[in-house]
Amino acid sequence: MLKISNLSAKIENKSILQDFKLEINPGEVHAIMGPNGSGKSTLSNILSGKKGYDVKGEVLFENIDLFSLETEERAHKGIFLAFQYPLEIPGVNTNVFLKTSLNAIKKARGEKELDAIQFLKLVKEKAKELKFDEEKLGRQLNVGFSGGEKKKNEILQMSILNPKLSILDETDSGLDIDALKTVADGVNALRKKNNSFLIITHYQRLLEYIKPDFVHVLMNGKIIKSGGPELALELEKKGYENIN
Amino acid sequence: MEEQLKIDFEKNLKDFSYSDQEKKFKETNFKEFLKQGFPNRKLENWKFSDLNQIIQSNIGELTFYNDYKKENQIDKIELISELEHNKIIIVDGKIEKIDFKFEDQDKIEVLVEQGEENIRENINSLINLNNAFSNKFCKIIIKKNYSLKKPLVIYHSTNKNTQFKNTNLRIDFKLNENACLRLIDIFKDNSEKNFLNIYYNFEIDKSSILKNYKIDKSINNNVKYSYNNVKQQVNSISETFILSSGSKFFKNEINCDLLGQHSSAFVNGIFDLDDENHHEIKSNINHLVENTKSYQLVKSVLEKKSKAVYQGKIFVSSEAQKTDGYQLSNAILLSENSEFNAKPELEIYADDVKCSHGSSSGSLDENSIFYLMSRGLNYKEAKKLLINGFLLDVIEKITDEEIKNLIKNLLGVKE
Ligand SMILES: Nc1ncnc2c1ncn2[C@@H]1O[C@H](COP(=O)(O)OP(=O)(O)OP(=O)(O)O)[C@@H](O)[C@H]1O
Ligand SMILES: [Mg+2]
Repeated sequence: MLKISNLSAKIENKSILQDFKLEINPGEVHAIMGPNGSGKSTLSNILSGKKGYDVKGEVLFENIDLFSLETEERAHKGIFLAFQYPLEIPGVNTNVFLKTSLNAIKKARGEKELDAIQFLKLVKEKAKELKFDEEKLGRQLNVGFSGGEKKKNEILQMSILNPKLSILDETDSGLDIDALKTVADGVNALRKKNNSFLIITHYQRLLEYIKPDFVHVLMNGKIIKSGGPELALELEKKGYENIN
Repeated sequence: MEEQLKIDFEKNLKDFSYSDQEKKFKETNFKEFLKQGFPNRKLENWKFSDLNQIIQSNIGELTFYNDYKKENQIDKIELISELEHNKIIIVDGKIEKIDFKFEDQDKIEVLVEQGEENIRENINSLINLNNAFSNKFCKIIIKKNYSLKKPLVIYHSTNKNTQFKNTNLRIDFKLNENACLRLIDIFKDNSEKNFLNIYYNFEIDKSSILKNYKIDKSINNNVKYSYNNVKQQVNSISETFILSSGSKFFKNEINCDLLGQHSSAFVNGIFDLDDENHHEIKSNINHLVENTKSYQLVKSVLEKKSKAVYQGKIFVSSEAQKTDGYQLSNAILLSENSEFNAKPELEIYADDVKCSHGSSSGSLDENSIFYLMSRGLNYKEAKKLLINGFLLDVIEKITDEEIKNLIKNLLGVKE
């Protein structure tokens, strides 16, 4: 599904990723752990099409050169990024935004767009599954949401858009224990349908709920070690400095 | 220009048999205009624009004579279809039609007279120009306790062949006690390169409400100036909303005298500018007695080489204790060449007041754009959504639902 080879990225001449390699197959869950500033968010941003990076290397998504696609086209093709810091968008109603987004993607795929009633039904159902307070959907996007609510809103968007590849950038940071479980349930529901995940986290706990197939350690812009779920436990005990 | 002015003024006088008093009024105003000329940057209120220069570069040589005896076609004027309304249709400064068909006819009085009112104050040279050249004064009086059932729309239009001309219009409004008027000004030009000069006088008696919405949305190459002079008595409310967009140059001045306790004035506006358009709002809110309130919010979205100026003044006299005055302006600059100038002025002589002002400008937030695009919206859609979101709070200040929706439609704000 996703194949990253020799990816390097610089910003303002500062090297952030170097010779980065990763392959994710359909239905797989990969976790990336790494110290602050190691380049995890940079990787997520580059995959979803944020501008401003000086990028080299190759990324194939379902055999298409990812860099030939605009940001929105990547979303149309099924890439989703749950932001580490979801943005507040004043004056934009959350429901309206969700509907605009879903229909933009449907339209690009040549699928039938949802009308207001169909959309509301879908959004209600998903909000209920994720225990997301429906009242918040009538508010301005992320404005006045708590940190955890913003994160949950990202997962709600993910569930509605049903992406093939979801990148979760520290979605677990700031979630309470119950919220962590509902978020994991949301991920696992999508996972059943052969969708893939790249989960960035600092904590082993999330991986208890979402069993990863692979765990990678990112340091200084490179994957220095890969393994199974046990690697996360080892990291938790030893810390990044003593891994290897 | 002076030669032309004199010729046109004489021609104008000859067209009608004015009484001596009227003639004197016009002549006094004409002389005053000749003396002062068009306003320029030396005046505090015109710090950011020299009208002479603006006229020269957008129109060229102006002429001032208007044939008010001529009947203008009005059947081609595009009317608003979204809401039922009373209407006044104006072509080239001449009132062609007054129609209050939705109202109790005995509750509204329309006086049309030729410049018999004495000049009460010397406001500025453009008002002198207006008084010298405008046709009949129209005075609209709303009787006590009457709220108009439907809004009144004033259509400002120009004839196809009205080029290089200055046209003037003056209307006076009086809202007697506990009356209510919703007034929409719509600007629709059929011609290019002219200069429209409007002067409205509002007397708002005790407990009356005036809502004035000025909509300049259709694109045109004209220069416009509008002055609202508002005098408010006890418990009265004035709400002014300006959608400033389509004209080449448009300056709206709002002068509001809060003369009665518990009166309040709201001035809100949007500059939605493209190309090299240059628009301004100048407000003077004069808090003259205790317990009055004013609120102003102006938002700008500026493309290309456009320029917006907001000069908001709050004046609080020494008697005006417990004044509540607020003004804020925010601008999004969509190009490096666009320009926003905000010049808040606070002149406060009372000590127990609550006054504040603020202003900000910046470009569209790229991170927000990325967020929206990562959800499948293309750049244009993302930009539109962000701009609509930015404008939402000022649109929400419009207290009339019907008119709010009309303006939302004009701006393409969905939902
Ligand atoms: N726009 C930018 N300009 C300059 N430096 C940047 C920019 N974005 C990221 N960096 C730098 O790149 C490095 C990697 O940042 P990144 O956000 O990818 O780290 P991270 O692994 O996500 O960290 P965290 O765990 O704290 O979220 C950091 O040193 C950061 O300061
Ligand atoms: Mg990060």
